[in-house]
Amino acid sequence: MSADLDAAPVAVPRVGPSPASLARPDDVRAVDVARASDRGARIAAVAIALVWHAVIGLPALLGAWSELAAPAVVGAGWLVVAATGGYAGARLLRGGLPPVPPLVVVLLTVDAVVFAAAGRAQLFTAANWVWGTLGWFFVVALWGRRLPWLAALLAAHSLIALVALLGYEATAPADLTRYAMYVYGTSSLPIAFLTGAAVIARLARDRAATAAATLAVAAERDAAEWAGRERRARLALVSGVAEEVLAELADGRADPADPLVQRRCVLAAARLRRLIAESDDVPDPLLHELRAAADLAERNGLPIDLVAIGTPPPLPVEVRRRLVDPPTAALAEAARWARLTVVAGPDEVAVSLVTPEVDGPGATGPPSRVEDDGQVEHVQERDGEIRWTQTRWRRT
Amino acid sequence: MDADPVAQDVSGNGPVGVAIVDDHPVVIDGVRAWLATEPRLRVLATGDDPDQVLRDAPDADVVLLDLRLHGRMVIDKLAELSAAGRRVVVYSEHTDPATMLAALDAGAAAFLAKHEGREHCVATVLAAASDRPYVPPALAGAMVGDPRPDRPTLSDKEREALLLWFQSMSKASVARRMRISEHTVKQYVDRARIKYTRAGRPAATKAALLARAIEDGLVRPEEIGIYRSQAAADWPTP
Repeated sequence: MSADLDAAPVAVPRVGPSPASLARPDDVRAVDVARASDRGARIAAVAIALVWHAVIGLPALLGAWSELAAPAVVGAGWLVVAATGGYAGARLLRGGLPPVPPLVVVLLTVDAVVFAAAGRAQLFTAANWVWGTLGWFFVVALWGRRLPWLAALLAAHSLIALVALLGYEATAPADLTRYAMYVYGTSSLPIAFLTGAAVIARLARDRAATAAATLAVAAERDAAEWAGRERRARLALVSGVAEEVLAELADGRADPADPLVQRRCVLAAARLRRLIAESDDVPDPLLHELRAAADLAERNGLPIDLVAIGTPPPLPVEVRRRLVDPPTAALAEAARWARLTVVAGPDEVAVSLVTPEVDGPGATGPPSRVEDDGQVEHVQERDGEIRWTQTRWRRT
Repeated sequence: MDADPVAQDVSGNGPVGVAIVDDHPVVIDGVRAWLATEPRLRVLATGDDPDQVLRDAPDADVVLLDLRLHGRMVIDKLAELSAAGRRVVVYSEHTDPATMLAALDAGAAAFLAKHEGREHCVATVLAAASDRPYVPPALAGAMVGDPRPDRPTLSDKEREALLLWFQSMSKASVARRMRISEHTVKQYVDRARIKYTRAGRPAATKAALLARAIEDGLVRPEEIGIYRSQAAADWPTP
């Protein structure tokens, strides 16, 4: 039986947690590895059983044909097991599981019949093929079941052999020793196959899970770093506006009663509010940012009308800033009332702020067009009646 | 905020009769007060049931209809009145674009958002009485942002005029921005509105709007081929 040892497991069967318990996203890779392992192990188990049956069992059976007590019965048993094993193997390779009870009944029946038909002379020879071969068909039939099931079936197998021994009165110490060797040899290899496969499968799954966890940690760290960079960039933007006026106020260089200083404060507050809104995770960031600006203006006592039509497409934060910044800045200087509108389509978003003209610095004149990059257009106009700030993004 | 002084020769003979249908007496009183500032308008009947109001005032030229009566959207009633040739100006606090466009599809002569105020209200009713379009800013916004795949095709100028009118609510500002006259701005906006007579089910009011648009030279007769498919059934006989 030393040849049996050469048939060491080369792949792993499916053991351990079922795919359902591995369904968390982190474990997707682990599930993939487990699936690949299981597929390989199924092929190995079916191949071992059928090749063993054909390469070792058949020549021995044919070689000793004339010496068997009932060669036809032993041959028929061989064919039945070949057919049964072929059917179970096909089920296994297609990803299913063979039906256990009928297979077990067929295999154990053939087991007993062949022992009876082999005859006393061939009891311990390779021509009594069931002894060495059936263990591998048990592995195929019990695929996906726990190890104790296999142990129980192998025990039944050994019991049939023992009954045959007793029936043939082969109870001499030498026979019993050979029997013990055979039981050990035919049972240990299938059990070793399943056990070794289980260990390899677990190792593969653990390695995959570790790799997935490492990736997840790395992705999380990248995301955190990105968010941190964004926050720092926004803070730098705010600092430019808020820090200066705050410092001047603290030093007493700026007079809080000065309307210009007040406007700078309102503007800084509006920008702060917008930058805070920008970091919120909301489905419609552009409208969210505009709403934040409108809220602030309203809280400062300005009646404001915000009308939004259509759903803006996802826009890069840079584009959103260029769309939102000019109207929010103008909103900080608005008096009496304001009308903030958004018209959005998949290829165009137009934001507009209209406020009444009030006395103050600046002059009326034709619209001044600030086209920063051909993507977002910014038009500013004071016609003596209204102040009109318009930004417009077009898909290029 | 310049409402259109559109009421050129409304009908020539007598004031325009208006019926107001709303389930809130305070709103009826408010609208009545708005309309009272315009001598060419006369409120003939008010109430919360369209059928009753029209029995009281069968000769009303324009029906001001609140789109939501007793908790129910009355688009079907609007369609019925429009099909019967009633000029219905819908006014509603429901200013989501889909509702406004649905009202136009059902044959409303105009859609007025309740917050749009007295000037737009008077101008809209006067325009409707003479089968002329009037597009208040909220409706312009709904038209320019119309996402429906079968929406009418507007020219670039018409879209731009609608957008700027919606944004600024000042035709003078739109005119300056587009470097055209206010009259031309109004023409672009009205032409866009006329194109919407194609959408939805045919209605006598839509045909009347179209006929007057041709008469006024707003659209040329050779341009109406595309409209005829749906409005033909209600084509007014001379």
